[in-house]
Amino acid sequence: MLHTTTAALLLLNAGVALWRLHRGPTSADRMLAAQLVTTSSIAVLLLLGAELEQPALVDVALLFGLLAAVATANFVTRTWTLLHEETGSREEASRD
Amino acid sequence: MSHLVLGFDLVIVAGLAWLAWQALFDRHRFSAVVHFMAFGLVMALVWVRLDALDIALAEAAIGAGVTGALLLAALGRLPATSGHAPGWRDSQWPLVLLALVTTLAATLTLAWVAWQLPRPGLAAPIGEALPNSGVNHAVTAVLLNLRAWDTLLEMTVMLTAVCLVWSLGPALMPYAPATSLPGLPALARLLHPLFLLVPAYLLWRGSHAPGGAFPAGAVLGAGGVLLVLTDAVPWMHEPRRQPLLRLLLAAGVLLFLAVALGGVLLAGTFLVIPASVAGTVILAVEVAAALSIALMLMAFYLYGEPGR
Repeated sequence: MLHTTTAALLLLNAGVALWRLHRGPTSADRMLAAQLVTTSSIAVLLLLGAELEQPALVDVALLFGLLAAVATANFVTRTWTLLHEETGSREEASRD
Repeated sequence: MSHLVLGFDLVIVAGLAWLAWQALFDRHRFSAVVHFMAFGLVMALVWVRLDALDIALAEAAIGAGVTGALLLAALGRLPATSGHAPGWRDSQWPLVLLALVTTLAATLTLAWVAWQLPRPGLAAPIGEALPNSGVNHAVTAVLLNLRAWDTLLEMTVMLTAVCLVWSLGPALMPYAPATSLPGLPALARLLHPLFLLVPAYLLWRGSHAPGGAFPAGAVLGAGGVLLVLTDAVPWMHEPRRQPLLRLLLAAGVLLFLAVALGGVLLAGTFLVIPASVAGTVILAVEVAAALSIALMLMAFYLYGEPGR
């Protein structure tokens, strides 16, 4: 019961992140909101795993954590490119 | 208690619909891509709620992780001025409406067909066939023995997709040189052991619990994508290594075909695996398939044919 309630609260927390994901205004805001959704989902999965006694959910959470790192690395290289390759896109990188 | 669970599911479904809408119709391209990545995460949660842990693992690895990274990197290759998708022209609206109606009709038909499916489904026949399949996990048994034909075709589709991507032109080198982002190679060096350990664990688990070749290959491929980003796999671009690269890319499909033809020789039927060797054969096919899937994902990420 406690697990499910906490999981539901964390899910609502991820819902707030969805609002930020939509609003932005910069790409860094959006990326961080997506990472917040990932982190909340990991916590939700671990809580559900404890509640339903399904240890395999820990594996799903593990994959979420690992692949979030790849997404962030991709985002960083893209932003670096925008900042350094074309001078005109500097504003674009800070604004979009 | 049940109200709480129902509310939980409703929040997930509402979030999923919202994310899908934004990923499809947000005119801001970066925003659409990030919404798609979040969609993959929530979709994995939905599969968990539907008790389909194998699909949840695959969705977490392929949908949320690798596809999102692929789209983000593709977005980085577009000129900076194309950050916004153009709006629909007036002449396109009838087509949009037609597509919406078709999708709605197809969804309703599928829902009707799913409602008509015989219950309780095929779980009992699969349970009966499980002792002869060589593995203890029903999903792995279906994927690599009972319906191995589907999996073979899936691998072939992926290989064809690699051929298509490579036919677009020469491979693109990663943008950011490692010297300008020193954190990136350090991150890759720290994380890559995990990206090797976790696929090995998933492969080993696949014989008796959720896991298997597809999630393992996707995680291995995600680690490989990190290596491509940091420019740490120069061998993929060397002309003299190309035959090896191509052989590894095709290894999964080739071994699968060899097993299928072996079935013709030993048992007289295509893709029949004799029960005595099924466990070993399935493990070998899974290892080859995971390696090929990982390399295929890295090959997509080159956006063209290397060594040209």
